[in-house]
Amino acid sequence: MFLGRVVGEVWATRKAADLGGLRLLVVQALDERRDPGAKKVTPVVAADPLGADMGEHVIVAFGKAARVATLGADGDYAFEAAIVGIVDDFEIPGAPEDWKMEDVLAWREARAGRPTADGGTKLR
Amino acid sequence: MMVGTVVGHVWATKKDPTLSGLRFLVVQPFTLGEATAETVVVVDPLGAGIGERVLIVFGRAARHMIGRGQDVGFQAAVSAIIDKMELEGGRVVGPTAGEDKARS
Repeated sequence: MFLGRVVGEVWATRKAADLGGLRLLVVQALDERRDPGAKKVTPVVAADPLGADMGEHVIVAFGKAARVATLGADGDYAFEAAIVGIVDDFEIPGAPEDWKMEDVLAWREARAGRPTADGGTKLR
Repeated sequence: MMVGTVVGHVWATKKDPTLSGLRFLVVQPFTLGEATAETVVVVDPLGAGIGERVLIVFGRAARHMIGRGQDVGFQAAVSAIIDKMELEGGRVVGPTAGEDKARS
């Protein structure tokens, strides 16, 4: 489980049937942003049952927790990571500057005026 | 789950009997910043080709994708072939590296 920031969204047409209707977001762990020398950061793709926005801070869970939080029950599904919480605020003394959430509201406003991206199937 | 690019195929004759007939790919994880030299080996039930970007799942989700029940000797699999990935700052990543430039 980790605290991360939504940095992208993924669309796919050819996929497991049980991924249909699931929104898939790209999440970068916050503690991977702490070290500016960390040049190779692999972001996690997580199912998003909550409707998180790009730039928002989220809590990501894996495995059974992810399946239960997304679909209400455990089972055989083709995903193992999910956003289980959208962070309202946090206090971490000494946290790096770029962990700040102040840009999230501005980002939401900017995105509101933007048309839906072209191509692909929106997974919702 | 993570996104990666298919960089190759792998074949093995001597292997766990639960793996016979499966297609194995070598996938390079998608990274922010510098590209990584790391690769992972995954089972591909969907038929992705070299250069395509795929979504990789692990553990129970991977065994589910392989479709042979949960008692199978593998733990990573392709669960989707990516059409598009939109990133912060308006960066758009296409289904292959060649299409990134065309779309951005």
